[in-house]
Amino acid sequence: MALLSIKNLHATVGGKEILKGINLELGPGEIHAVMGPNGSGKSTLSYVLAGREGYDVTKGEIVFKDKNLLDLEADERANEGIFLAFQYPVEVPGVVGMTFLREAYNAKLRYSGHKEADAMEFLKFVRSRAKTLNMSDEMLKRAVNVGFSGGEKKRNEILQMAVLEPELAILDETDSGLDIDALKLVSEGVNKLRSENRSMLIITHYQRLLNYIQPDHVHVLAHGKIQRSGGKELALELEANGYAEFSGEAA
Amino acid sequence: MNIQQSSKLPFEELIAESFEGVTGDWHHELCKRGFQNYVDVGWPGAKNESWKYTNLNKLGSHSFSIAKDYSTAIPEDMIIPLDCPRLVLVNGVFNSELSDQKLLPEGIALTPLANLSDHQKTFFDDLRLGKEIKYALPLASLNTAMFSDALVLELAEGTELSSPIHIISIGSGSQITFAPRIVVNVGKGAKLDVIESHVGASSGMYFSNSVVQFNLQDGAKVGHYKLQNESNESFHISLTKVLIKERAIYDNFTISLGGILSRNEIQAHITGSGAECCVNGTYLGAGSQHIDNTTLIEHIAEGSCSREVFKGVLGDRARGVFQGKILVHPDAQKTDGYQMNRAMLLSDQAEINSKPELEIYADDVRCSHGATVGELEEEHIFFLRARGIGRERARRMLIGAYISDAIDEIKNTGIRSSIQGVAENWLKHNLYEKK
Repeated sequence: MALLSIKNLHATVGGKEILKGINLELGPGEIHAVMGPNGSGKSTLSYVLAGREGYDVTKGEIVFKDKNLLDLEADERANEGIFLAFQYPVEVPGVVGMTFLREAYNAKLRYSGHKEADAMEFLKFVRSRAKTLNMSDEMLKRAVNVGFSGGEKKRNEILQMAVLEPELAILDETDSGLDIDALKLVSEGVNKLRSENRSMLIITHYQRLLNYIQPDHVHVLAHGKIQRSGGKELALELEANGYAEFSGEAA
Repeated sequence: MNIQQSSKLPFEELIAESFEGVTGDWHHELCKRGFQNYVDVGWPGAKNESWKYTNLNKLGSHSFSIAKDYSTAIPEDMIIPLDCPRLVLVNGVFNSELSDQKLLPEGIALTPLANLSDHQKTFFDDLRLGKEIKYALPLASLNTAMFSDALVLELAEGTELSSPIHIISIGSGSQITFAPRIVVNVGKGAKLDVIESHVGASSGMYFSNSVVQFNLQDGAKVGHYKLQNESNESFHISLTKVLIKERAIYDNFTISLGGILSRNEIQAHITGSGAECCVNGTYLGAGSQHIDNTTLIEHIAEGSCSREVFKGVLGDRARGVFQGKILVHPDAQKTDGYQMNRAMLLSDQAEINSKPELEIYADDVRCSHGATVGELEEEHIFFLRARGIGRERARRMLIGAYISDAIDEIKNTGIRSSIQGVAENWLKHNLYEKK
């Protein structure tokens, strides 16, 4: 049974239709890559799944863990187990990293009817997670992402994912703005978080990220629709031929 | 021309009445000079540049009487919560029963107004920079004309106090006016932290018109932290006058969150080289509160630096005013000045008037200023929500973070966390749980 099932999804942004009938199914533990040219609707798909305001679903359905996702607010979706790793993580002045993680972690505990975490226990837990990702906890004492390099911001996203342990992680253009060393570090972090209980939807323009995080399935998104699906070899084919094949109007 | 010159000025009758309460010839002469200055300048209207954004019509037309009762209890839940010696003014008059003058550490002297030495009397000389109208301080002149008591503190040369001194000004009663007057003279190389809490004993409406003076002698280090938490319908106008001599360090922070109309005016004059001056603050407004912060930092000597950061959060129909001026004299080469005012508006009807000003007559200086106005950023809220944090909680986290960013400017960590608590408490009761 699918963890996430998207059927005939249509969505508009500012009155303009961007997604024009997406069908996609993710099983538990599966890694799917969605590739496509700029403007194809990749980021819109990630925001629609995360529940961002201003991204309006006009038709179709999204079912996550047997629940109608469209009935849930953004924070409820996160607490159900959906995690969006942002393409451009925002800087949040004044909100200390550790405080932020604790708020998010406790929100999830409260949502599922549990008691909030003990502050000391939580601190130990976060430190151990940071250590497995080779991150110093110095970053956690600073305001979220303020003054961080591009690579640090992306690693911070992966740390949040490691702490919140989502069942579905959506990585939106995680490779953008990273040099090759940073890309390796971030990919290693993601690979450590692969598990049979965690599905991932990797949204990317380039194939290079998929050299490091190998997908089970690859989909090509263009003109608001999935145009082709295949195995990881499809990514290599795209790398060789580009998106020219999909540049014409959709059928 | 001031149209009010033909008729009586606001408070004119009360001034005559307050003259009866003076403590001697010197005090009487001083009040008369204050009165003359007040009459010369007149009640500030919209044409007075310094008062352009703060309309005092309602204050000027209201009928007050002079406070006669000088006893009350300290409203503990309104002051900055700190365990340190307190000096208490009730309606502008020193209350020895509520004060801890016996706990004052060695090296600090509190002198009653009636016993001032000639040297101490000079602290009360004219507060204006010059005779020109632009230097006029009408409300401070009104204070000089009406103050009935003063708190005069002197810290001896080289004395370093580890515990702060807490000055509490309490307004007690309804439809009354009073004029707190505070002088703190800090000797060479001496070190001191002073906290001011301005609060109301009850919900009564009153007008507190205070003048506070700090003199920092060479090498003195002063932390000066003020809470303006007057009762809801009250008026608070204050002038803080600071003289900073060679290598002295002055660290100031004001949190304004009470009263219906308030003005926190600070004039810092850096007359010695190598001195440092920080004038920071935060302002929180809801309902129809009007909060004015007006500052002048005057660099007179060479090689001094100043830093100024104000951040405000305004909801409902609240209105903020920020006027910040850095004035650099021709001899004040190598001046380093920074000024920033940021305001967050939480409603369509909230308003901020921001007027930064640099006036520079030296050619080798570094001065910058900036001002921003904004709302809570939807991008930030979505980021927190995408991590499972509910909308309202996300909103509170972001507002709290915005304010604590300003409060972090306070150098004394104990006082910093106390003020942080006061701010959070206000946000909780006035913005979060009101609706």
